[in-house]
Amino acid sequence: MFDLPPPAIFLQLSLNGALGGAMYGVAAVGLSLIFGTMRLIFLAQGAMIILAAYFVRALFQSFGIDPFLSLVIVVPVGLAAGWLIYQGLFRKAAAEEDRNISLLIAVGLMFLAENLMTVVWGGNTAGVVTSYTASGIHILGIRTSFTRTMGFLIALAGTGLVMLFLRKTLVGKAVRAASEDMTAASLMGISPHRVNAIAFAIGIALAGAAGVAVATTFPFNPFAGFIFSLKALVALALGGIGSVAGALAGGIILGLIEAYVQFFVGGSWTNAVAYGVFLAVLMFKPEGLFGRPYKKA
Amino acid sequence: MRWTYWMWGVLAVALALLPLWPGAVDSYAFSFLFFVFVYAILAQAWNLIAGFGGQISLGSHAFFGLGAYATAILWSGNYLWGSLYDSHPRIYYFDPVTMALSGLVAAVAAALVGLPLLSKLRGDYFALGTLGFGEIVKVLFINGGTFTGGAFGIVAPASTFETLLPHYWTGLGLTVAVAVGMRLLMRSRYGLALIAVRDDEMAASANGIDTLKVKIAAFAGSAFISGVAGSLFTYYLFHVGPDSVFDLNWMLLPLMMTVVGGTGTVMGPIVGAFIMYAVFDAARILVPDYHPVVSGVAIILAMLFLPKGLTRLSFGLPGLMRRG
Repeated sequence: MFDLPPPAIFLQLSLNGALGGAMYGVAAVGLSLIFGTMRLIFLAQGAMIILAAYFVRALFQSFGIDPFLSLVIVVPVGLAAGWLIYQGLFRKAAAEEDRNISLLIAVGLMFLAENLMTVVWGGNTAGVVTSYTASGIHILGIRTSFTRTMGFLIALAGTGLVMLFLRKTLVGKAVRAASEDMTAASLMGISPHRVNAIAFAIGIALAGAAGVAVATTFPFNPFAGFIFSLKALVALALGGIGSVAGALAGGIILGLIEAYVQFFVGGSWTNAVAYGVFLAVLMFKPEGLFGRPYKKA
Repeated sequence: MRWTYWMWGVLAVALALLPLWPGAVDSYAFSFLFFVFVYAILAQAWNLIAGFGGQISLGSHAFFGLGAYATAILWSGNYLWGSLYDSHPRIYYFDPVTMALSGLVAAVAAALVGLPLLSKLRGDYFALGTLGFGEIVKVLFINGGTFTGGAFGIVAPASTFETLLPHYWTGLGLTVAVAVGMRLLMRSRYGLALIAVRDDEMAASANGIDTLKVKIAAFAGSAFISGVAGSLFTYYLFHVGPDSVFDLNWMLLPLMMTVVGGTGTVMGPIVGAFIMYAVFDAARILVPDYHPVVSGVAIILAMLFLPKGLTRLSFGLPGLMRRG
């Protein structure tokens, strides 16, 4: 048939896939939180990531702030923006039983963000070029890009912080309770609006962190976000909807799948395979690859 | 209040006679109305599965695209039956057989996909699954080789046309037919079963309704209508490509129009299609540089202040309020 490529290729593919997939993962963690509390498929997450990437680029070009350093600005801004987005746009819709409304507001927000970016920064592909953009580092004898590795670390740190928050703080516990059963949680005195707003704040802050990773790694344009939202959804389904660590793991698995399909089958098929896996997981293992099966309702 | 349907009938007849008005055919309003018809048909299709059936589908653009491609492939035909076709007269514009076949292709695809999706997935998971399905179809068409024309798509062997009149009348006729069909359907045993499944699946099934069959039929019916709309659009554009007919907006905009007009009402999708397309088009003309921004704002405002849809407002037109 065909010659098997040398093992180093597999290592390289795995590393590249995992590093790239972590970015889907961090977007998926945000989606997971928002879906958990609000049952909303927040399609605008990708657009928020690209918006953050443009913001990072603006900080870099206008003020010379290093993209990775700008995390200290982007993440708090993301938290505040998430809170405001919830209070301004979703608060009323969250109380409605018809969730189409929230979904459509998310779609409207996506259109708005995409096109505002086009108006402000133009529709062309943009990127952030720093002194270290092209530099590489060696891990276990394989060469990898410095920015991708940093992106991976950001994803790990972001997910770790969110998990710590959910596990160790009382507010985090409330968020978890609300994702499990909003009715029961509100009977225990947990305010749905507060929990939703917190989930949104963290979700957008994570989009900010992902934006830093995207800005330093890939060229991007205002309309690149939607594919990110879709990929994050796939990662979410792979890891099990509602699980934070699972979302990150799902992203990494998706990255691996993409890297291997791209190499062995061809770049134009990666999306079909990714969504095929997505459908298969939804149908046969809806609790995700790591989750325990749900009780039948 | 039967007479309100006369009102709609009068409106339809007036629209049908509009081309007789001198200058109307060449006016801007004419092409505007054609697009309203296309969107109204798509909104009706989405309303059937989501509004009446309660199954939120995020993959209806795939059926629109399938219908559009089916018409383009049948029309250009060289690949399927090559020489045989050349000895026959060309399929003319708005060939009813081609249009029905295009709808059928979409409906069959929907039935095939709906069987596993609808039996296994519920609620949000069904929505996610259909979203994934839409993306897969798009990739399949990009990789379809000469059959689908790859990433470029297919150019239909169209001769130039000088008037939009046939498009207009076909669009209007289909809009009316779909609305009448929807009205009859929702009064029928099947329509009531569909609404019962939406409102309480368990109770419906306890009362002897085969819920899976009802849902699949609604999904396939919705796909059929979307496919016919896609066919209509091919006759307008002559070029189908994966990025144009599988664009997500073919799902998102009809969805929005339905919700703005009133989900689960017969006339809501038409009202929504007219109003939202008017808003978008006005934005495109008045603020050309910013019009997509205006669209985004319009969606958000509509959802914040009209979450139940226009047709459910208390000052809505009489007769619009009734469901189903």
